[in-house]
Amino acid sequence: MPPDQTNLLQGTLDMMILKALALGELHGLGVSRRIEQITKGTFEVKPGSLFPALHRLEEQGWLVSYWGESENKRRAKYYKLTNAGRRRLEAEAKRWGRIALAITRTLEAS
Amino acid sequence: MVLPRLTSLLRNLFQKQREEHELDEEVRTHEQLLVDENVRAGMNPQEARRQARLELGGVEQVKEQVREIRAGQLLETLGCDVRYAARLMRRSPAFTTTAVLTLALGIGANTAVFSVVNTVLLRPLPYPDSDRLVQIWSTNPNTNRWGMWTAYPRFEDWRQLNTVFEEMATARTWVISIKGGDHPESLFGVITSSQIFQLLRVQPMLGRGFLPEEDQPGHDHVIILSYGLWQRRFGSDRAVIGRTVDVDQQNYTVIGVMPSDFRFPPELPASYRVDAWLPPAPDPSRNERVSNNYYTFARLKPGVTLAQAQAEMDAINHGLAEKHSADRGLGVKVVGWRRQVGSEVRPALLILLGAISLVLLIACANVANLLLARGAMRQREAALRQALGAARARLIRQFLTESMLLAVFGGAIGLLLAYEGVDLFVRLAPHIPRLNETTIDPHVLIFSVVLTLGTALIFGIAPALQGSRTDLQDSLKESGSRLTIGSTRARARSVLVVAEMALALMLLAGAGLLVRSFVRVQQVDLGFNPKNLLTAFVMLPPSKYPEPRRQALFFHEVMDRIASLPGVECAGGADSAPMLTNDTGTVSIEGHPVEPEIQAERPKITPDYFRAMGIRLLRGRTFTWADSEGSLPVAIINESAARQYWPDEDAMGKRVKLEDGSAPVWRQVIGIVGDVRQDSVVEAARPEVYAPLLQVPVPYLALAVRTWAGPTALTVAVRHAVMAVDKDQPLSGIKTMEQVVEDSVAGRRFQMSLLAVFATIALGLAAIGIYGLMSYTVNQRTHEIGIRMALGAKRGEILHLVVRHGMMLAIVGVVLGTVGALLLTRFLSSMLYGVGANDPTTLLSVGTLLIGVAALACYIPARRATRVDPMEALRYE
Repeated sequence: MPPDQTNLLQGTLDMMILKALALGELHGLGVSRRIEQITKGTFEVKPGSLFPALHRLEEQGWLVSYWGESENKRRAKYYKLTNAGRRRLEAEAKRWGRIALAITRTLEAS
Repeated sequence: MVLPRLTSLLRNLFQKQREEHELDEEVRTHEQLLVDENVRAGMNPQEARRQARLELGGVEQVKEQVREIRAGQLLETLGCDVRYAARLMRRSPAFTTTAVLTLALGIGANTAVFSVVNTVLLRPLPYPDSDRLVQIWSTNPNTNRWGMWTAYPRFEDWRQLNTVFEEMATARTWVISIKGGDHPESLFGVITSSQIFQLLRVQPMLGRGFLPEEDQPGHDHVIILSYGLWQRRFGSDRAVIGRTVDVDQQNYTVIGVMPSDFRFPPELPASYRVDAWLPPAPDPSRNERVSNNYYTFARLKPGVTLAQAQAEMDAINHGLAEKHSADRGLGVKVVGWRRQVGSEVRPALLILLGAISLVLLIACANVANLLLARGAMRQREAALRQALGAARARLIRQFLTESMLLAVFGGAIGLLLAYEGVDLFVRLAPHIPRLNETTIDPHVLIFSVVLTLGTALIFGIAPALQGSRTDLQDSLKESGSRLTIGSTRARARSVLVVAEMALALMLLAGAGLLVRSFVRVQQVDLGFNPKNLLTAFVMLPPSKYPEPRRQALFFHEVMDRIASLPGVECAGGADSAPMLTNDTGTVSIEGHPVEPEIQAERPKITPDYFRAMGIRLLRGRTFTWADSEGSLPVAIINESAARQYWPDEDAMGKRVKLEDGSAPVWRQVIGIVGDVRQDSVVEAARPEVYAPLLQVPVPYLALAVRTWAGPTALTVAVRHAVMAVDKDQPLSGIKTMEQVVEDSVAGRRFQMSLLAVFATIALGLAAIGIYGLMSYTVNQRTHEIGIRMALGAKRGEILHLVVRHGMMLAIVGVVLGTVGALLLTRFLSSMLYGVGANDPTTLLSVGTLLIGVAALACYIPARRATRVDPMEALRYE
């Protein structure tokens, strides 16, 4: 099942969100900051792509959300990985590993 | 995986607003968190806010993007299933057509019947705020023959004394004749008190309604025209207001024209048109407390309940009974008007609705059976999907989507059928109040949508559960060899066939009982001969014929003229004739204590009336024109009267008195005639006391003209015979007696025919159901049958094997259906005549019929089974 270009990109963001949430429950801004932190600022996730992705993942049943209190006492919507989401992340990670390896080999071939 | 999506679907559908609100809050919190972050980084608040906005890139844009994702998700999953289902439907057109048409018939017929129920029983009356309208009438606990009416003076008391009604009005129908044009015309009028239009909150289209004083003498020569009469007779002339017209030889001023859609009384048959509304001026009985002729209705004051109104009316009635002897022994009843209007047909309509929903259930069972059969063929597909990781719930959803799609197509076609069906129903139905208002309105549409979705669930759930329950091992085994059929699937299909049989039997039993009743009704001896008999009404305007003598002379002359017409055998007339008119009231019997409860029919007749009607003279003689004013007062009674009034004596020569306001004289009984069915074909005969017209003149007669052949051909001649006596005297309600009798059983005939049609459809569907199952079984067992034959089984044995299986199902179905019928047919009892609700003959014959049809349906596939070529069968697969 070779992923096409857009799927690859979308899949990448989804995977990164799942990964960010695998480390703990976060609100929207928290997710985006965690991704920046993990990727050392390579990826900056803008709200315009963050929120649609979060809602999509929630619709798929990979995330659940609830209203909680932020570190500076604001009511914020928190997201949490479900078991299905955790399995999804594992599968995505494996797939990504294969693709990355394949691409690396392709580029290294001379 | 399914559950979160399902909740998301529900969220999307039902909690859209909350969802929106949450999304807004989420994005705004995000903005706020960004601001907080920037402030902590050392920006001043303004700059922090600006940077946050920049990063966010517009609250609304973000929200819109989220919304798109959500909608897309929903559509994608649904669209996927629907596309797949549509592809399947296209691939098996025979299956699809059968299923869709079956459902279309079921849903369409249900929608049509419901639209009638909706109009007649559920829809508010066609007046503003009609739920506050009630009907009020006097009840007579002893005889209860007065039914729905009360007397005008009593109405006036009620109106003045009550405190619970905003307004009260009363009305009765009245035939008037107007002059002018090429012939005098009998008009169908409504006499009413002046408050009617304020009460109904309806305004005339032209002119004005009645003024409060216009039901009082001196002000009451005013008339309001119907839209139809205004068009027909006055050429839609707007200047008609204020014009004088000749009504019953008196001058009336036209004060208004009602709009075309105004109908009153609401339950009037569609074929009747009311031509005019006028004050009670022409009715001599308006001052009589004993003449209960008025239909009374009222509007409840806001906040007053029906029970409160009833309580106050009871108290008022109690007070009136102490003042007026005529009010003694009368009760009063207040009921919701809409409920009352539909009350007579309510049981019949509900039975039809029940019957047609049974038909839909059978249709559902049939489609479910088809789906189960197809599910068997799709077993491998389902197993494959599950092996590839589809959850069972996902499969169920897929199957239900397919059912839903079938139902939606069925429902759409059904709705089209319903449009046609309603027209047909309205055209064929006998008089049902308000039936002509029937339309497919939003309520009906909602009903049919709910019905469609419900139907999809009913027929789809079993196949979906079956189809999704696949055991990989099992399905592998089954597709490997076909020695046996999947047992649970076969059981489900058998249960469905049994259910179909049972439902069909219940419908057949109901239809059978109605058919038997109708046959009994047709065999009833009416006591008169309706063949070659023409009937019509003549009503003399009291203003022109004030003297009773002149009324009698007029009719004497008319009778002579009609009797001498070529083609006429003889002619008679009566002011109370079977199924046409009534004059029920008190009579006294000489030597008996005076009892107001001695009630009889009191026809005043011309001499040839019995001969014209074909009523048998049993003893004594009939009247002659010599029985007139100066001669001995005489009477003729019927058998019932003789039996009831003089049980142990000879009635001949005894004396009776009519308590009807005529000269109070004792009349000698000079003859006894046979009983007639006075009220309807099915109601037992009542005592009748006949008096000669010349001794008790009346201004109103129903004519009965016996002809040698084809009575309708004489219509014009009879009309002219009347006009030859008085050129301004119209004739109305011309009908053959056969038509009158037919009209009186038309409701019964219609009910019976519809139920018979429903039962036939049910029988057909059940036959198809059992045939389908047996064919399928034979196909599945081809291999087995082949082996049996190879081992020496005879054709007869194979036949027996297959037919026995089918007949077992049919018999179980018939037994269950009989139990169901025994429980349900009692709801029919009010519609039965001459048969009990649990009539064993009917149950036995419909059971036999159903088993016979089932045997035929099993025999065809069974014969196919016997033609199986063993070699072929063993090679198969």
